[in-house]
Amino acid sequence: MSEIAERAVQNFRRRDARDKLMGRTRYTIDRGTAGMLHAALLRSEVPSGRILRLDTTAAACMPGVRAIVTAADAPGRAGLGIADHPLFAIDTVRYCGEPIAAVAADSERQARDALAAIEVEIAPLPAVLDMGSALADAAPLVHPGWESYEVLTPGGMRGGNVAWEASVDRGDIDAAFARNDVTVVESSFRVGRQNHLSFEPRAVLAHFEDGRYHIETSTQVPWTVRNTVAALLAVPASSIRVTVPPVGGGFGLKFDCALEPFAALLARMSGRPVRLVNSREEEMTTCLFRENAEICIRSAITPEGSIAGREAVVLMDCGAYGGEQVFLTTMTAHTLGGNYRLGAVRIVSRAVYTNTAPNGAFRACNGVYNTFALERHTDEIAAAIGMAPGEFRRRNVIGDGDLGATGQVFEGDVLAPMLAKMEALRERTPASLPGDGRLYGRATTVGTWFVFTGPSAATVNMNADGTATLVTSGVEIGSGSMMQALPQIVAATLGLSPDKVVVRAADTDAAGYDVGVGGGRTTVSLGAASRSAAIEVRTKLLKVASDMLEASAEDLVMEDGRIDIAGARGSGVTIAEVAARAQALLGPVAGTGSFTGAGTPAMEGCCAGHFIEALDIPVFAVHDCDVAVDPGTGHVEVLRYRVVQDVGRALNPSAIHGQIQGGVVQGLGYALHEEADVGRNGAIRQTSFETYRVPLAGDVVPVEIELHEGAPSIGPLGTKGAGEVPILNVGATIACAVAHATGKQIRELPLTPPRVLELLLDRAQAPDFPHIGSRHSDNRLATGTIA
Amino acid sequence: MTIRLTVNGEERDIAAAPMTPLVDVLRDTLHLTGAKPVCREGFCGACMVLVDAVPTVSCLTPLVLAQGRDVETVEGLTSADSPMPVQAALEEHDAVQCGMCFPGMVVTLTHLTTAGRCEPSREAVKAGLVGNVCRCTGYERIVDAALAVMEDRP
Ligand code: FES
Ligand code: FES
Repeated sequence: MSEIAERAVQNFRRRDARDKLMGRTRYTIDRGTAGMLHAALLRSEVPSGRILRLDTTAAACMPGVRAIVTAADAPGRAGLGIADHPLFAIDTVRYCGEPIAAVAADSERQARDALAAIEVEIAPLPAVLDMGSALADAAPLVHPGWESYEVLTPGGMRGGNVAWEASVDRGDIDAAFARNDVTVVESSFRVGRQNHLSFEPRAVLAHFEDGRYHIETSTQVPWTVRNTVAALLAVPASSIRVTVPPVGGGFGLKFDCALEPFAALLARMSGRPVRLVNSREEEMTTCLFRENAEICIRSAITPEGSIAGREAVVLMDCGAYGGEQVFLTTMTAHTLGGNYRLGAVRIVSRAVYTNTAPNGAFRACNGVYNTFALERHTDEIAAAIGMAPGEFRRRNVIGDGDLGATGQVFEGDVLAPMLAKMEALRERTPASLPGDGRLYGRATTVGTWFVFTGPSAATVNMNADGTATLVTSGVEIGSGSMMQALPQIVAATLGLSPDKVVVRAADTDAAGYDVGVGGGRTTVSLGAASRSAAIEVRTKLLKVASDMLEASAEDLVMEDGRIDIAGARGSGVTIAEVAARAQALLGPVAGTGSFTGAGTPAMEGCCAGHFIEALDIPVFAVHDCDVAVDPGTGHVEVLRYRVVQDVGRALNPSAIHGQIQGGVVQGLGYALHEEADVGRNGAIRQTSFETYRVPLAGDVVPVEIELHEGAPSIGPLGTKGAGEVPILNVGATIACAVAHATGKQIRELPLTPPRVLELLLDRAQAPDFPHIGSRHSDNRLATGTIA
Repeated sequence: MTIRLTVNGEERDIAAAPMTPLVDVLRDTLHLTGAKPVCREGFCGACMVLVDAVPTVSCLTPLVLAQGRDVETVEGLTSADSPMPVQAALEEHDAVQCGMCFPGMVVTLTHLTTAGRCEPSREAVKAGLVGNVCRCTGYERIVDAALAVMEDRP
C-alpha cells in the first residue's frame, strides 16, 4: 500500500477557491428563502439575577411579529459532562448576554423592535465575576442546584463553583520534593480570553417541514447540533436534520451548538423558515472564548538536570455554564504535563463557574496557555540550575518508551530529532539583528498536542462514469481538509485523480455519526473512515475486473483511472468500464467505512475525571523566533519565526504550510495584543473590531517551515492532523524570546507595549492567587463530592 | 424615495431609506452577497466595493452617498467564468481558506495592483492592505499573489 500513500501526496488545489474569490460562495449568512422570518434574542443585561416577571403579551402584538418563545417552550438542559445549560435562562440569569426570549418577525428591524416591548423584571443577585471571587469562602454559587443536574459522563469531582475537577497522581510526589538534593522552582501565570473572531458569525436558517426540523447552520459539529437541539427542545433526535453550507471560519467557536435551537423552535411555532444571525456585538460578547486561566507550577530538579517531580494547579474559567471547559480539564495532564520526562506527577485541573459569558473551544484549546506556562517555567528551571535552555530541553524531552504524565508509554523519538532540525533551520534562516538600540532575544520551545480521534463514518459511491462520491458529515471550515486531504485519500485508494472524487457537504440525513471538524481530526478520523470505505469499493472493483480480464485480483494495478495487469500498462480496462459492468451485473458499487479512537491506555489508577486518559495520536511542535523589543515604547517586533511540525505524513504540503502560516499569526495575536476581559458590570469589554485588535498584514512575517514526517501514527497513510497545532507554542515562544531580550520574568500574556514597559521598569506585579492554596491538597475537592 | 445608482454597469433604482447601508442594499435588495458585513464599522474590509473606482467600505456608506455613482462589487469584477488576474493569482498561490475576507481583498487588490498605484514591494503591499483583515491565512500568500500580479504587468 505504500505506492497508494505516495500517490496520495500532492498539492491538489482546493476546488472551492474560485467561487470564494468571485464572491459566489453562499455561506449560511448569504442564504435566504421564500417566506423567511428574521429572529432576534432578548439577552440579559445583568450578570446575575432572579427573573421576577417576563411578559411577552405586548411584544406579540407588535407589527410583523410571528412567534415569541421563552424558557417555557424549551424544557431541556444540555452540556458536556454535566447537563447544566438550559436554552433560555430559567428563573435565574447567570451572565450578561444570556438569552431570555426569542422573537421571529417579518423583518429583522421588527424582531428587534419587539424585543424592546418584552416586559422583563430582574432582581439583581450578587455576582462572581472572576475565579478568585468564585473560589472565595462563602462565595455565592453560580448554580445553587448543581447537585441536582444530570451527570452525562461520570468520574469528575464537582462541588460548589467547581464545575469539574480532573486530577493526575503518579508516583511519590512528596518524596520527590523532600529530596535534599533537588532544586525547587515555582512559577505562576495568568492569561486572558481570546476571541476567535471568525468572519462569519454564528448563523442559522431553520425550517420545520413534514414534522421534522431542517437546520442549515454554520457549525463544525452537525451531529452535536442535532443531538443538543433534541435535548433542549425535548424532541427525538431523529426529527432533526442538519446540513452545513461552507463555513466562514470556525477555529473552535462553532464546535458547539449555538443559535440553532432558537431558530428551530421559532420555525416550528411560526410554521415559517427562520433566520437567526448574531450581530458582531453579540458575537464578541458571547464568544465561547479561549478561556482565561491561572496556572501554578512547581518542579523538583535533580543535580543532573532531570525532573524528579512536577506539581501543578490549573484553574480554567468556564463562565456561567460548564461547556467545553469541563472536557478541557482533561488536556492539562497532556499539555502542562507534556513535553518532558517526569518522575512523579501531581496535577489538578479545575473548571470554575463564574457569572460571565461561557467560554468554549479555540484551536489547541487549553494547550496554548499551558504550553506558555510550561515553557516559561522550563526556561526558569534552566536558569535556576545554570543550564542552557536548549540543553535542558534536549536532555528531557519525551522519547521512545518514555512515560507521559498519565503513564502512557510514548512511541518513537520525535521531539529530539525535531529539535535538531530546528537548529539546522535556524542556521539556514538567520535573523538580521536590530542594531538600533532595541533589545534582541530569541527562544526555542517545544509543545505537545494530539489528534482528537473518536467516531467517524463515510460512504463511497462508485459511479458508472468513473467518478466517486464521498459522503460524510465532515464540514469545510476553511482548512481545506474536505477539499484536499479527503478526496486525495479516496482517489489514491481507487487509482483516480482527486478531481474525480465529489465530496458531499455535511448532511446528518445522508451520512453517519461524526464527532465534528476540529481537534485535527478531519484528515485522521474522517480520512480513516473514507479510506476504509474506498478500500471496500476497490476490492469490489478488482473482483469484477479480474473476471473481465481473466487475471487474478492480486495481479492487477489500479492507477490513472485504469485497472491493468501489473507490468502491462494498457492491457486492461478503465475504472469507468469496470464500474459500469459491476453496476449492470451486481448493482451499483458502494463501500462504507468507520473509525474511532484506539483507546491507548494510561497507567492504571493514576487519573481521575479525565475524558481522555492517554493520547491516541500525540502531535509535537518545535517553534523558534527572534524578536526585537523597543525599550522606549515596549513594542515587540517579531524578526523571524520558524516552525518544525510533526505531521506524520504530509498529504498536501501546500495546504499544511497555509495552516501553519495562519495558525502562527493567530498565535502572534494572542501573544502580543489579543485579549478580552470582563468589566465591572459583568459584560465583556471588547465589543467590536475597534477594541479587539487582531493581526494585520503589516504585523506578520513569513513563517519558515519544516515538516517532520515519519513519526508513528494510527492515522490513514500515517497522517496526523496539521491545522490545529500551529498555534500551540506561539505564546510560549514569543514570551520566552521577550524574557531573554529583557531579562525579565514573564507571567502574563499578551505582551502589549504597556505590559512590556511595566516589565522593563520593574513595575509588573507577579500574579497573586490567594484562592490557590499553597498546599496542593487545598486545591482538591475531598473524595465524596462526586455528585 | 428612490435612489438611482449604477451597480456593476447596470442602472438600478432603489426604494430604500437614504441612510440604509450600501452593503445591505447590495445584499438584501440586489442579492449580491459577495460583499460581507463582518464588522459593520469600517475596520475589516470584507464589505469593500469600488465607488467610482475607489475602494470604499460599503458598511459605512449610506445609500444616498452612492446616488448617481458607479458601484462595482466583486461580482462585477468577474466576467462569466474567467477570473481576473488578481483572482487567478490568489488561486495560483493557494491563498484561500475560509474565504470570507476575499471578496473585499479582491476589490482592494484590484485597485492596488493597477499600474502606478503601489510600489511592488512587500511593505508597500502590506501597507495597502491595512484596511483588509484576514483571520485565517496570515496574509503572506495574499502579498505574494499581489506582487506576482504587479510584476507580470506589462
Ligand atoms: S463590514 Fe465593512 S469594513 Fe467590516
Ligand atoms: S480566508 Fe478566512 S478571513 Fe480570510
